[in-house]
Amino acid sequence: MARLTLDHVTKRYGDVVAVDDLSLDITDGEFITLVGPSGCGKSTTIEIVAGLTDATEGSVHIGDRNVTTLPPKDRGVAMVFQNIALFPHMSVFKNVSFGLRLRDYETAEIERRVDRAMEIVQLGGMGDRKPEELSGGQRQRVAIARAIVRNPDVFLMDEPLANLDATLRTHMRTELQRLHKQLDTTVMYVTHDQAEAMTMSDRIAVINDGTIQQFAPPLTCYNEPRNLFVAGFIGSPGMNLFDGTATADGFNSAAVSVSFDHSSDIPHKITLGVRPEDAYLAGSNRAERLSAPSTAINAVVDVIEPMGDEMLVYLLCSDEAAADAESVQLLVSVPPETDVEVDESVQVVFDRSRVHLFETASGAAITHGLDTEITPDTDRP
Amino acid sequence: MSTSTPDTEDSGRIERWVTRAIYRPERLYRVLFYVAVFGFLFGTLFPFYWLFVIAVTPRELLGTVGLTPQAFHWQSFVEVFEVVPFHMYVANSIMLAFGTTAIVLVVASLAGYVFGRLEFPGRRPLLLVVLAISYFPPAAFFVPLYRLFAGNISLFGISSPNVLNTPAALLPPFTALFMPLAIFILTTFYAQIPDGLEDAARIEGTTRLGALVRVIIPLSAPGVATVAVLTFIYVYNEFFFSFLMTTGEYTDWSPLVYGIRNYQTQYTQLYNLMGAASLIGVLPVAILVAFAQEKIVSGLTAGALKE
Repeated sequence: MARLTLDHVTKRYGDVVAVDDLSLDITDGEFITLVGPSGCGKSTTIEIVAGLTDATEGSVHIGDRNVTTLPPKDRGVAMVFQNIALFPHMSVFKNVSFGLRLRDYETAEIERRVDRAMEIVQLGGMGDRKPEELSGGQRQRVAIARAIVRNPDVFLMDEPLANLDATLRTHMRTELQRLHKQLDTTVMYVTHDQAEAMTMSDRIAVINDGTIQQFAPPLTCYNEPRNLFVAGFIGSPGMNLFDGTATADGFNSAAVSVSFDHSSDIPHKITLGVRPEDAYLAGSNRAERLSAPSTAINAVVDVIEPMGDEMLVYLLCSDEAAADAESVQLLVSVPPETDVEVDESVQVVFDRSRVHLFETASGAAITHGLDTEITPDTDRP
Repeated sequence: MSTSTPDTEDSGRIERWVTRAIYRPERLYRVLFYVAVFGFLFGTLFPFYWLFVIAVTPRELLGTVGLTPQAFHWQSFVEVFEVVPFHMYVANSIMLAFGTTAIVLVVASLAGYVFGRLEFPGRRPLLLVVLAISYFPPAAFFVPLYRLFAGNISLFGISSPNVLNTPAALLPPFTALFMPLAIFILTTFYAQIPDGLEDAARIEGTTRLGALVRVIIPLSAPGVATVAVLTFIYVYNEFFFSFLMTTGEYTDWSPLVYGIRNYQTQYTQLYNLMGAASLIGVLPVAILVAFAQEKIVSGLTAGALKE
């Protein structure tokens, strides 16, 4: 158990910058997730923490030790890999006890610890099996047992659930949360799946192009994304984004306009974002309950996707004034019993308190919610 | 096939046979398979039979050796050890072979790890240079090596020690000549071990070298066994360097093949003893191969490893 600090870490491969001046401060016992698209540098970051890759610049501290130049074995970290990486020539017991045996623990102590670790991952009595005799989920649990048996200061998990099937993945997600509660160890978790990041973590570090876009609790990332990248990446289905301009009476684009009062110093080119669940079909019960709905937007139903608990309606909005204008897609999440049909003309309103504004050029958030007075965000990146 | 009499029985039979071979070739393939297998087996096994026939032929009948033994003089297999201390030559060969195999395995494992698992500039050219060594005929290295080992080369006024008739004159050329192939085989094997396994071992507490010994080498067992057995057999049968670097006495580390040659003197040529000695000499290698066969076969053919 320890605090984990990355201080201005940079990794370059020739001219390519994989990780760009990345700093993170993770408190003791915290579960944090690095999330981002493939190639964003999240795996390189976790490898730098593990010591499998050397940082070009910057330092890594675990507890009060500077581990930047230490070999992986001396860092007090344990890692669970995407490809599970059990040693195929060793029994489960030998796999789990590998690190302990290398550190010359007494046989009785090794057996006690392995038994306990195997109990925690609910695989008691499987010690004699070979990895090839286990199912995918069991193998992943053995890998987790191998990681917890040494009581590491920090747990590193590099997409540990990516190779499991969907049902098992959801199950293991819960198991990992339970395990974290039980062990209370600092965890750094890497995934490209924003749903995993949202459900498991205390805080999420959203990474793109080797830099941190936002490092905040999951719901903060969801409700107050700091920039366009976070807004588009976190949440499934993603946020509707419309490029437009700031005019005297609010946001204006070809298909979508939302009026609001604003001070004069907001940028001219702005992007409006609204999540599918914050847009409503005009006339529906939910829309009636809105305290400050936006002006209705005309749209035509394009595709309907019933999901069971909700229904996703893909709408096409276009500017009536210009017939040849390109129509813009708008995704609305509606209750499953809603009565809509493809090609039907509908009107949509946004919950103005849940509308986000971003500066188009830099992507930085200007405001979240239009009811408060619009002043530029002081906390912009 | 004569075109003037196309309906003769002969041409009809051949045509039928050809047609069948074209449209249903399985039978032809099977015939060719057996021809090839029996041809190969005959080519490999007949020399052993022939050696055996010569070995059991008494000395006075050696001038008229036929395909079948004319007598059964089994005493040759005992005389072999009486005329020349043949067991000592076998022991020399086995020790040299074990020594070479050990050195080759250690050095080629390290080199195989570097070439197979590390990225560094110049890796491919360097591997090709190493391989290029095996393109040279061994004889090309003999003269400079002989001068070096005989103590005829001096550097800064210090002449090289005379190491002829010792393992120090034999192990370097043996290891050097077999090293490129060993490195190449082990490079291919070590490169196939998933990175995750090495990373896991290093995080669990090994160094890179520890991961090589505890994870990569055990998982590459077929490749390591292949290299070990091929090296062993090569050194065990080696004649060129050992003939030139030693006197022929077993006390001077002369190996098996030199021992067999010692049955030929200025006035006598004991072919029956040579035959018997050759058969006895094959035994250690035959036993080794029998034990390692399974690993070698999987090493030479597949080498695939599932994680």
